[in-house]
Amino acid sequence: MSHIRVENLKYKYPTIDTFTINDISFIVNKGEFIGISGMNTAGKTTLCYTLTGLIPHFFKGSYGGNVFINDMEVWKHEVHEISASIGLVFENPFSQMSGAKQTVYDEIAFGLENRGVPRAEIHARVEDCMQQLDIENLQHKNPFELSGGQMQRVAIASVIAMKPDILILDEPTSQLDPQGSDEVFGVIENISKKGITIIMVDQKMEQLAKFSDRIFLIHNGTLIDSGTPTDLISRNNFLQYGVEPPIYSSFAQSMGLTNSKTGGLPITIEDMPNSGLENFIAKSYIDIECSIKTAEVIVSDLHFGYTKNASILNGITIHLNGSPTAIIGHNGAGKTTFVKLLKALIQPCKGEVLIDGVKTSNSTAAKLASTIGLVFQNPNDQIFKNNVLDEVMFGPLQTGQSKETARNNAIKMIDRVGLSSKINENPYDLSLAERKMITIASVLAMDTKIVIFDEPTMGQDHAGKIKLAEIIHGLYAEGKLVICITHDMDFVANTFEQTVILQEGRVLFDGLTREAFAQDKLLQLAKLKKPHITQLAQHMGFDGVILSQQELMT
Amino acid sequence: MRTMTIYVEKDSMIHNVDPLTKLLFVFVSVAMTYILPTYHFIIVVFVFTLFLLFVGKVLNYTLPVISVSFMLITSIIIIQSLFHPDRATPIYDIGPFTIYKEGITFAFLVTLRIFNMICAFGLLILTTKPDDLVQALINLGLSAKIGYVILSVLQIIPQMIRTTDKISDAQRSRGMETEGKLLTRIKSFIPLITPVVLNSLNDTLERSIALEIRGFNATGKRTILNNPTPYKYGLVFKVLLLMLLVGTIFWRVMI
Amino acid sequence: MNKKSMWSVKFPVAAFALIPAGIGINYIGKFFAELLKLPLWLDSIGTVLSGMLAGPVIGALVGIINNLIYGFTLSPISYVYAITSGVVGLVAGFMAYKGWISSIKKALFLGLIVGLVAATVSTPLNMQFWGGQTGNIWGDILFAYLSASNAPLWLASFADSIVVDVPDKIVTVLVSYLIFKGLPKNVTQMYDNHSKIERL
Repeated sequence: MSHIRVENLKYKYPTIDTFTINDISFIVNKGEFIGISGMNTAGKTTLCYTLTGLIPHFFKGSYGGNVFINDMEVWKHEVHEISASIGLVFENPFSQMSGAKQTVYDEIAFGLENRGVPRAEIHARVEDCMQQLDIENLQHKNPFELSGGQMQRVAIASVIAMKPDILILDEPTSQLDPQGSDEVFGVIENISKKGITIIMVDQKMEQLAKFSDRIFLIHNGTLIDSGTPTDLISRNNFLQYGVEPPIYSSFAQSMGLTNSKTGGLPITIEDMPNSGLENFIAKSYIDIECSIKTAEVIVSDLHFGYTKNASILNGITIHLNGSPTAIIGHNGAGKTTFVKLLKALIQPCKGEVLIDGVKTSNSTAAKLASTIGLVFQNPNDQIFKNNVLDEVMFGPLQTGQSKETARNNAIKMIDRVGLSSKINENPYDLSLAERKMITIASVLAMDTKIVIFDEPTMGQDHAGKIKLAEIIHGLYAEGKLVICITHDMDFVANTFEQTVILQEGRVLFDGLTREAFAQDKLLQLAKLKKPHITQLAQHMGFDGVILSQQELMT
Repeated sequence: MRTMTIYVEKDSMIHNVDPLTKLLFVFVSVAMTYILPTYHFIIVVFVFTLFLLFVGKVLNYTLPVISVSFMLITSIIIIQSLFHPDRATPIYDIGPFTIYKEGITFAFLVTLRIFNMICAFGLLILTTKPDDLVQALINLGLSAKIGYVILSVLQIIPQMIRTTDKISDAQRSRGMETEGKLLTRIKSFIPLITPVVLNSLNDTLERSIALEIRGFNATGKRTILNNPTPYKYGLVFKVLLLMLLVGTIFWRVMI
Repeated sequence: MNKKSMWSVKFPVAAFALIPAGIGINYIGKFFAELLKLPLWLDSIGTVLSGMLAGPVIGALVGIINNLIYGFTLSPISYVYAITSGVVGLVAGFMAYKGWISSIKKALFLGLIVGLVAATVSTPLNMQFWGGQTGNIWGDILFAYLSASNAPLWLASFADSIVVDVPDKIVTVLVSYLIFKGLPKNVTQMYDNHSKIERL
């Protein structure tokens, strides 16, 4: 008996003119692990909503075809009936907390209370779920005081406690840092062994390939193809659908390697041969010289702490100029605090920052606005206008550009981030990734000499990351200093010439990216991983640092 | 600011009294001071409330609660003693103004009532966990969904306050000034408040989904996981309080 | 789906998530007004906005629960004004549904009405509990002036309340209106009583 049956499903949101789901049919069997892959806006989240009955009951709109969960017709049942057999966990861990419970323990019990589960059983189930999700040590904590990764595990526990037959995970790690992401994937591995049917949407093909029995490739609301990870990756050009295949597969494909066991392309690092590159000589070690002159930031002996006893930065001395620079480091290394000091949002306890020779201690964030642009991590913390153009024009107008210049700059930058067609839309009707692009445009339009990004790749798909790299290189070509905080090592490898490693408020390393990823000991100390391509080359016997696939193509 | 509540965790007799009895106490105590307008009587009620605060080991936490209403109290004392409608007996002149006995008496009465009201509520607030009070009200018949609303406010507001710093940073980074002339400050209100509103409404969408998924709309009977243990003397105290109230009303009618 | 009236008391889940958000917005409005040292409270933007979004019943609930929670956490005397806040949400929600937020001029008028209603409801409370004053310096100066010129207590008290409530509510409604007009479709959609599922 099929567990989930979707027949000719079509769906259109009441606020959008086109069909987000356009004639999809598939069957999922009990106990399967299904991965769903596709670019942002492919319709993946919408598909999840249709399975849980949120579509049509919560979102309304136009609905055609049928969805059956255990032969229950979704169309004819209320969400609370359907949710008895199907659980959903989504991106944002924060908004999944009920908000009414003071402890993790009670939070997990919330759904069971609503369902009238007997008290003794609630206790048993909560204990069991906490153990599965490895959060027993957090049980007395307030859910809102947890890290993203911990909170997301509480969200999963809260849903699993309700014993659904099917668990849907909609990009459960896209808003988490690598550590949180590892924590969550770790527990998903545990859960997947318990026989529950799982449907997981994710951008990270490496993870999908690792867990899934079958993967569905979705594009423009239709199901392009489905099959085992190996088959699917072997027979489709994923890039065409805006999805980045596992780096192992694409490299193997270009080298003509196959997995001897499956006959298809290798999809994990274990599938790759552990030799073959011993004698590889990288031909194109051309690190671009810091030839373009940019603004400069000189930081000397910088100290900062919000209170006397908790210092965050402990004497940073650094000279930033020239080609784009990535700042990497574990959580709490002081990265965000550091850039806030550059921007004079906070003032140092000791030491000084010179921006092109001007001390920040004599300035304020608002005054520095025309010199340094800072793109914050969460676009929702700044967007307040009801159309994209006005939002992007706000900064330029505040910093004294004339209305016409501001408008021209805004239009140019909206184009640069690829949102020209959405210039009159309400930012909140767009996706989070698009909102992030809006905030980038809104900072670029201020035409500052220095641009700082804080985690720009979070939530972006493959196309978005490529766009970001283009923007960063373009800014450098215009003679701007680009500094970027990021957790995404692959992005560091193929975008930034220089890298700074921070650890506990100190500079561990400052130099070329290629050299940064050769510092095995420092990386370990800073709890950082190497880029996937670097790891792959070393797995295959190469003893240098490779930063991009092109370098391996000989 | 970590939490919204000013509940003080202590071990005292008052802490052990059940929330509804304390709630009834607040009501009776406040009502008595308005039913009988003689300040001797109000002083007795007020002193008794202070005594309970002392027993509950929270007397020293009461001052900040009172200070919130400082403006109101000061204004009442000044204005009533100068301009009370029944003013007739001058007792002191300050420049062009005259303080009247009737006004002073009235201001004293009102101030005592406010003090008593704040302290009585303070007794409830400082010694009762919000969860317990809400649960007690649900047991009394309050909808569990409204109970959810009340408790979630206490959690959500501190989260919203946490985002205010980030919003202010982000807008200042784009050249917005938050200090200076009144017009400058007024102008920056919209860029500050709007992201909070949009964010919280957007979260509302996601939180509704999460609530749906977790059976918030389920129709059957709900389980109460942490039901507060019943308080032994609850009934006795409630009856005593009601008798006091009836007694006060009786007294008022008689004199 | 039945057609629901604006007085419907059977709320969708979204309404229960909206009430805490509305109360939070009230709080943050006050917070920023204090941060910017504005001479207004602006502590009922969430109440008014909830009324505009989800109708008078939810608006009133946000107002009432808002004051009950303030009373329970920050300032016990706000219990007294729970009725006022409830009426603010009720009136804003009712008039918004009747089309009084279709233009900025209408919104200004709505603000005036909300302010007057709030003052009217507060006056007897102020008179009963503290002899007619509000604790606001400008309002109380007017109160003192009128009392000194032997105006009746209710008039002095009402005038005091008007000074306190009307300018604040006009700005509050105006800010709420500007935000409401800019809300994304996917938010307003949640509270749209008329939307239906179309079966293809």
